[in-house]
Amino acid sequence: MKKLLDLLLIFVVMIGTVSVLGCVDVSGKAKSIDTVASDGLIAAVGTHLGEPQDGFNPITGWGYDHEPLIQSTLFKRDSNAVVINDLATGYTISEDGLTWTVDIRDDVKFHDGVPLTARDVAFTFNTAANAATVVDMTMLEKATAIDDNTIEFKLFEPRSIFIHRLVEMGIVPEHSYTGAYGQNPIGSGPYIFKQWDKGQQLILEANPEYYGQEPYFKKLTILFITGDTAFAAAKAGKVDIAEIPSSLADKNVNGMRIVSLDSISARGISFPFEPNTGKKTPHGHPLGNDVTSDIAIRKALNIGIDRQVLVDGPLNGHGQPEFSGVDKLPWGSREAIFEDGNIDEARRILSQAGWVDTDGDGIREKNGVKAEFTLLYPASAQERQALALSISEQAKKMGISIKPEGGSWNKINALAPSTPVIWGWGKLDSSDLYFRYHSESYDPANWNNVIKYNNSKVDQYIEIAMTSSDQDMANENWQLAAWDGQTGFSQNGDAAWMWLATVNCVYLVNEDLDIGTPLIQPFGSDILGNVVEWERI
Amino acid sequence: MSTAFPMNNKGLLRPLNLRQRTILLIILMSLLVITILTSSLYMDSELLSTNFGSKNLAPSLEHPFGTDWMGRDMLARTLAGLGLSIMVGIFASTISTLISVFLGLFSSMGKTADSIVSWLVDLFLSIPHLLLIILVSIGLGGGATGVIIGVGLTHWAGLTRVVRAEIKQIKTQDYIHISRNFGKSYVWVARKHILPHLIPKFMLGTILIFPHAILHEASVTFLGFGLSPHEPAIGIILSESMKYLSAGYWWLALFPGLSLLIVVLAVDILGENLGKLMDPKKAHE
Repeated sequence: MKKLLDLLLIFVVMIGTVSVLGCVDVSGKAKSIDTVASDGLIAAVGTHLGEPQDGFNPITGWGYDHEPLIQSTLFKRDSNAVVINDLATGYTISEDGLTWTVDIRDDVKFHDGVPLTARDVAFTFNTAANAATVVDMTMLEKATAIDDNTIEFKLFEPRSIFIHRLVEMGIVPEHSYTGAYGQNPIGSGPYIFKQWDKGQQLILEANPEYYGQEPYFKKLTILFITGDTAFAAAKAGKVDIAEIPSSLADKNVNGMRIVSLDSISARGISFPFEPNTGKKTPHGHPLGNDVTSDIAIRKALNIGIDRQVLVDGPLNGHGQPEFSGVDKLPWGSREAIFEDGNIDEARRILSQAGWVDTDGDGIREKNGVKAEFTLLYPASAQERQALALSISEQAKKMGISIKPEGGSWNKINALAPSTPVIWGWGKLDSSDLYFRYHSESYDPANWNNVIKYNNSKVDQYIEIAMTSSDQDMANENWQLAAWDGQTGFSQNGDAAWMWLATVNCVYLVNEDLDIGTPLIQPFGSDILGNVVEWERI
Repeated sequence: MSTAFPMNNKGLLRPLNLRQRTILLIILMSLLVITILTSSLYMDSELLSTNFGSKNLAPSLEHPFGTDWMGRDMLARTLAGLGLSIMVGIFASTISTLISVFLGLFSSMGKTADSIVSWLVDLFLSIPHLLLIILVSIGLGGGATGVIIGVGLTHWAGLTRVVRAEIKQIKTQDYIHISRNFGKSYVWVARKHILPHLIPKFMLGTILIFPHAILHEASVTFLGFGLSPHEPAIGIILSESMKYLSAGYWWLALFPGLSLLIVVLAVDILGENLGKLMDPKKAHE
């Protein structure tokens, strides 16, 4: 027992010491950056969804929603999300929409000095199509090099969204690609791979032969630290830029400024669309939810929840209300945006649909079913925890009882088909909408149409949008899928999801660092997307 | 602990003799634990809700333990967390006692029974405690129930071993042999001759398991098993506070940590002093 008490005492003394150290302000030393060469940059930016498990290989997913840095892509996007040329010099689509022809520049070399030709591009796309990875290449039949600078892509069906694949895919060299490519990648991008200390850092060096804008920073060190660790590193003056949780964005750090970038990274709640009839998913998990399958519940929550409150509170002001999950994107519908925070209207909808509190416990009932459900959030995602609590408190005022519950991804995978979950989505890729709302994309194991949403009209619009080769026509149909005047997946129609807010990417940035005009920030952020423009001033 | 109360009277409790002091301490410590438990049981759930208007406030009269990143009052959260800890403690010690009574008496019923019991005890002691708790609580589907049962099912081994040793000693007594020779059954002997001797041991064992159980509950929730991160448990509060140390929010760790220490100490003092009353020989050690 004595030993136990000693241990306890040590524990408390430790906590005490750390607490006291914690409040001592070490930011006075913030100017110790001068130990770093001025043309070197140290970034603790959690880099693009964290350290890639399989290495820096585009075929296994590196760079598929952000700038791959080491490799270059055929096209890329500017800060307004407009598609611009990178390796490509232009592209044409055949009349039937089945053949895409892309011309590429002839002055590009890989980091090992070998010229990059159309054969490398064809090799990259064919390999990716054959390897089942996170990059969806199912529409591609075959890529062929016509000559050194021309590639022809044959598709199974016309696909407007194929342009997103051309933006996402980093090109790998055919002559040196092996299974271990990700450990020691060679590309043609602005930075050369130097060193990867797993779990710690990635070191890149500027590519002197790069065909695009020459980067100011010759050495780029990316530390794989996040959250409060990144904050502590910034406070100690050890990094030039640190991605921090918005809950720490109120603290002033000497020599650093807060940069809060708008993003398209939206948080939304999936409402299982079918009632629970005892059916199971292909993996044997329960399917359906008797409460959220009632459209009145979904509509009432959508209308009653005040999204500005969510932004001001849980997100600490670093975000914007979000109504359709794609509000800010060209394929987002203006019709999907509505007046929220209207509790009276929410109550009216519920009462009209037969949800009435008969036993006086503050929770409505209908046919013996209580208006209550569990709301899952990933235990590791702090902002979703706060959102879940805040929503639960707001819903109580409408007579709906929401019980937040944090869980591991394993648990969420098992429960998502029957239980609402707070998700994070946000890609510059309209095919996201197909995987969320098209009835045939249903595949809960991959989180595709996890609510088993089914609306044939919406399916139709999505199919037209997917298969049209004209981007404007595609966008118009994506928008009609949200609301066409009669039906749609948005609040006016089926209110299939409840979108809450987009979450800003918040950084502490050294005061002498100019980060140019950042790109649009997707889920997981893409702060280094324009790193070639960055300068120390 | 007993050295803290030397025979020569001095200090705050000078006018009282050892017995009075012991009883006073028992009453004070029980009161403290019971107060914490009842206040957490009857707490208005509004107190635990978020209030984003008062985030990260340092301790003040309104919020004696400060507030966290969602503006929740840390005093309320700490009390609720300690309440859970005490519940876990009570449940774990009760279960452990029941199991060790049963296994202890069972071991008195012959050689085979005894080997089975000592084998079981060795088996459970050979698996690291924390690991076993995590396994059991995950196996039971997690949540508060998982943690409570997990902690409950893993603390009986030590006490059972003590009880078994005690029984071995009692069994050498003459009256046991005489009873057996008179044809009394093992069960009768266990019930009438052995159990009464063991009661003080059980009472003490139960109370001494308590702090162990509380600390294990805190460690398991600290590691993120069992409860959701928004629920109040001491381990969760402490692990969350770690994220804000670099921001200088020291109160998030200090007060809940101290409170945990105080509760564990209180229960420990309670057990020591009860021991003095029940086993007077020990009081003079």
